[in-house]
Amino acid sequence: MCDFSARLVAWMDGELATNEAASVEQHVRACEHCRERVSAYEEVSRGFAAYYTATTQTAIAAKTPRKLPRFVPVLAAAAAALLLLLALLPRTVKPVPAPPQVAVVHPPIALEPAAKPLKPVQRRHVAAHRKASNQDWAMAGPAIQIAIPADAMFPPGAVPEGITYIANLSLTDGSVQGIRLQP
Amino acid sequence: MSGDSFPLNLPLPRFATDSCEATTLYRELRKPLLRYLAGLGLSADEAQDVVQDAFLSLHKHLAADGSQENIRSWLFRVAHNAARNCQQSYTRRMGEPIGPVFDAISHEATPEQAVLAEEKFRRLDTAIRALGAQERECLMLRAEGLRYREIGEVLGIPTSTVADTVERAIKKLAEKCNV
Repeated sequence: MCDFSARLVAWMDGELATNEAASVEQHVRACEHCRERVSAYEEVSRGFAAYYTATTQTAIAAKTPRKLPRFVPVLAAAAAALLLLLALLPRTVKPVPAPPQVAVVHPPIALEPAAKPLKPVQRRHVAAHRKASNQDWAMAGPAIQIAIPADAMFPPGAVPEGITYIANLSLTDGSVQGIRLQP
Repeated sequence: MSGDSFPLNLPLPRFATDSCEATTLYRELRKPLLRYLAGLGLSADEAQDVVQDAFLSLHKHLAADGSQENIRSWLFRVAHNAARNCQQSYTRRMGEPIGPVFDAISHEATPEQAVLAEEKFRRLDTAIRALGAQERECLMLRAEGLRYREIGEVLGIPTSTVADTVERAIKKLAEKCNV
């Protein structure tokens, strides 16, 4: 056993300091046993490199299928069953009727005490050919009167102060049939 | 103010340079990292994930003005530590049959030579499996061209320990392979 035998691999790998590497090299030139050892270590190193490259290359090339988490098939089956159930269920839910459209009149200024409170009324389609005349108006159903101060409708100075208009709303079957303003 | 110029200290130039460096490193080190991780027992998909995570960490490291010295050993160390976290698969590869591996690399001219080469390969396989984990890791990193100092940085051990481990592992292989 030579003194340098413990540093032969490091010397092969160029890992020794310059002075130490020179000493080992000088010894290896003179020692046949160490030359054989160096040759054997080089052969083993090449064999390991070939083995390492071959085994890892085949391992990298072999594509392994990605495993799904265990809960994924369960969730997929549950989702499919739910969709099937929804598709097979009869449509028993009745559509909710839309709320009737209500016209609300907001008086711009406080009403006079004599005025009746405005009730929300249902709006109906009014035939285009129907024209409200004074006679029709008189023939109409119960009327609602709303007092509207003039300065709420006209610019200041357009009408004398203190004038209040009365809006007559004639109702037929609960719907507004006509509006007339009287000073 | 016209004619005045202000130095722009934007991070873009350094970022772009680091990205180029990272891209070059990715081209050069992706396969060695994949081989090393496969050698540690990770599957191909696991190795790909670890390598991508390692380069993502490198990108963040460079963007945060991290040290640019020994990037190769830095990447191997990150990958090595990530592989350590996959303890279940860490030694899986060592139990797999080597027949297909030998068939893939065997290029012997005659059947007799092929039989001898296969016998040699099987002895080497048995000897490598008998090595300790650190001895195998040192030899794999050495086969990837890392210096002893870099191997020590990857594995977190002194350089002198790497030298002793490599020396011991090579002698074991030579003894068991009758070389």
